[in-house]
Amino acid sequence: MSAKLLVPAIFAGLLAGCSAFGTHPAGHDFIVTAAKPGQLFVVDPRKMKVVSDFAIPGAHDSVSTIVTSPDGTIAYVLVNRARSIAGINLRTGKQVFRANLSAPGERVQCMAFDVTPDGKTLIVYEYRTHLGIDSYTVETPQFALFSTAAGAYAMPERTFPAPRRIQAVLARKDGRSFYALWPDVYEFDLRTGQLLGKRGLLHWGRADHSSADLSINSPASEPTGVFVAPLYSTLTGSGLPTGGVSATSLMTLNLHTGKLAYHDISRTAPPIFATILSPNHRWAFGVFDALFKIDARHWRIVKQVPVPHSFYMVDISSNGKEVYLGGNMCDIAVYDTSSLRQRGDIRLPGCGDQALVTPRIIERR
Amino acid sequence: MARKVSSIMARGTLVVALAGGALGIGRGALAAQVPTGLAEIRTHCAECHREVSPGHFDRISEERKTPEGWAMTIFRMRQVHGVQLTPQAEAAIIQYLSDVQGLAPAEVRAGRYALERRPNVPDLKLPDNLNVMCGRCHSVARIVLQRRTPAEWLKLINFHVGEWPYLEYQDGSRDIAWWRIASKQLPAKLGRLFPLRSAAWRAWQHRPHASLAGQWIVHGETPGHGAYYGTALIRRTAADRYGAHYQLRYADGARFDGASDAIVYTGFQWRGTGTLGGQSVHEVYFASADGARIRGRWFLIKHAEIGGNWAAARATGRAEVMAVIPSALRAGTTQRVVVVGRALVGRVNLGPGTQTTVAAHKPYGLILKVSVAAQATPGYRTVRIGGVSTHDLLAVYQHVDRLQVQPAFAIARLGGGTLAAVDAQFQAIGYTEVAGANGKTTAVRLGAMPVTWSVVPFDAAAAQRGDARFAGTLGQDGLFVPSGGGPDPRREFSDNNTGDLFVVATHKSGRGSVVGKARLVVTVQRWINPPIY
Repeated sequence: MSAKLLVPAIFAGLLAGCSAFGTHPAGHDFIVTAAKPGQLFVVDPRKMKVVSDFAIPGAHDSVSTIVTSPDGTIAYVLVNRARSIAGINLRTGKQVFRANLSAPGERVQCMAFDVTPDGKTLIVYEYRTHLGIDSYTVETPQFALFSTAAGAYAMPERTFPAPRRIQAVLARKDGRSFYALWPDVYEFDLRTGQLLGKRGLLHWGRADHSSADLSINSPASEPTGVFVAPLYSTLTGSGLPTGGVSATSLMTLNLHTGKLAYHDISRTAPPIFATILSPNHRWAFGVFDALFKIDARHWRIVKQVPVPHSFYMVDISSNGKEVYLGGNMCDIAVYDTSSLRQRGDIRLPGCGDQALVTPRIIERR
Repeated sequence: MARKVSSIMARGTLVVALAGGALGIGRGALAAQVPTGLAEIRTHCAECHREVSPGHFDRISEERKTPEGWAMTIFRMRQVHGVQLTPQAEAAIIQYLSDVQGLAPAEVRAGRYALERRPNVPDLKLPDNLNVMCGRCHSVARIVLQRRTPAEWLKLINFHVGEWPYLEYQDGSRDIAWWRIASKQLPAKLGRLFPLRSAAWRAWQHRPHASLAGQWIVHGETPGHGAYYGTALIRRTAADRYGAHYQLRYADGARFDGASDAIVYTGFQWRGTGTLGGQSVHEVYFASADGARIRGRWFLIKHAEIGGNWAAARATGRAEVMAVIPSALRAGTTQRVVVVGRALVGRVNLGPGTQTTVAAHKPYGLILKVSVAAQATPGYRTVRIGGVSTHDLLAVYQHVDRLQVQPAFAIARLGGGTLAAVDAQFQAIGYTEVAGANGKTTAVRLGAMPVTWSVVPFDAAAAQRGDARFAGTLGQDGLFVPSGGGPDPRREFSDNNTGDLFVVATHKSGRGSVVGKARLVVTVQRWINPPIY
């Protein structure tokens, strides 16, 4: 790690409650995104161009969550109305992993998934429905663990029951457990499936706040390993109008340490779809109809600028100098994190809708 | 050869199929034979839905619905499960199931507004949490127009989650234990509120269906155009099938003739397809139990939000005044007035301050020439013709004191792609204030008034966005036509041409201008647009 990066890294590590928060190999950032009907793109933001355009087999006009392998070589993409996960080699475009989750008589849909830090296991949260001859029966959701080496006909190596309504699966960085979010923050042992802990999220127990509302659109936590998401609630108390006021908070869940924290950023409810934390933990950025810059030390919105159209997702470069707005429509907008000025706009070939695709950042040497 | 009127379910409109007498399932006449619809169910449905006893099929026989409801079921079976049916088979199944597993008139009443495709009707309120659990996505009419056993309601809930698992994640469900409530509480609750077996259905099911053939007197109102009146001749073409011819006029004399072919489901639910005033329309009407009246709404096939009320009564029967057109007369004027009614003979008296002569006797009533004295007292008039009288169908006024724009809150939807825009039709209802005996004023309804129409932004945010410029155009007939959908590069954020507006009606009279307004939200397309949304 260079000396230039070391100071903010230590500072940020202290802020985040962890002793170290990841390294930044001397590579270049590339953005991985996808669009309907089933295209996977690798985008070079330095050149503001798409460098790879791959067809995802069997996407069936449906692409959404992207999870990239820790080494940045494979993109796992949720396709086929959330019934399949396709692992695509980002150099060759070849499908190197495929899990078709359903089986005859059983419809299985993935509602969230992640890859473990060693890149060996996909943790897939599944909604399951038994398809009878003339009726359906809803079954208990489950976590299914797939080996990423399973190839084109991957089957789960083990499964265990799960709560309903899980919105995100986030692998802990020590590789021993994973978090599942909503309506609580659950932690499960990766090996046994045992519930290790549960902390309130919907019912977060914060005085003067109503229960929280959260809709996780992006599971991205790179490059910090700290997951950030906007929470909405109603704030009541003395000096506030009857019925309270809308409050926007950010939750941070440190995937290194497990530390969960809430930070109130606004007594209004600006619509924010997704948020990301800067590498030095100094700023957070959120997006929807505007790009928000949030002081992550004092937890307040310090700047917001309108964006050309609604963006659902935001990710950030490894050096923290640029944020990339994606999701919805067919472009990636590049913004300077210091000024919030737009640096460029990268159009995706074919102009398919990114919809709820979650762009991710990989580094290539 | 089968005479096909239509047999598609498109743009959210049930279009019924007429397939000639051979496909009829006439009650009684074919009692000894297997009804065609039942035979088609055995052929096309029983492979999955087991016939556990003669005519009783798993799932199918545990539900009762409207014809639109059964058409939607068949649509889903085709889309999701690949069932292939000829239009004739589909029509026969819908007819059969609507007759043997339909709804009684009392069971349809609450949800009629949805079948009639009435726009901008506030939805029903259901007890407890049902509006959140079901009404969050559906019109409540969709729920109240179904009857099921608790076990069948539970299967429906399982189907919902199996097909659309994200519904547990949406706003309004992710903050509650949706599945536990849905699977543990709702089936019994829905089974109590909307049970498969009911006294109303038992009574109706065994009642002979009244024939609707004959001569009828018709009146109604088309928002934006006004009241119309005339006659209908309805002929029975087969069991529960009819052909109708209409001779109608608007108050200004414009012809509004038409014709339709219709199926009557469950003995009282008229579903017709035809023309009115040269436009293609669907008719969703309901006959009274004795077959003496038909009421409902017709609407344009491509724009269900545009249509009119329809009321018909037998041309023969006891004397009755049904409507007076126009419904309000301004003092100091002489006008042509149509009294729509039956067996109207004898002296005509429209009350104080009026002088009336009968200009003509017509099959639909009387045409009068009415002069209203300049100083006539404003208020409702009792209309007396021979031995019959009505009390609230005609008013006299000096001035319009107040305008009420209807609907008070409207939603229009952008067009684009394969979807037509959803327009919004407004009308301005005038009122005059009349001093009552107790010193209080009473509002006397005058009916639709001639006004000029305009739009203004609803608030500062709408003004800043330029909603009034982008969202669409409001014609001087009160019809708002939205703009095209999709991102508009002229707008901030390349926003869609949505808008939040006030629609303003201005009526000018001798005493100055009277203004009324309504809110109009112009929003995005409704991509999923079934007959009962």
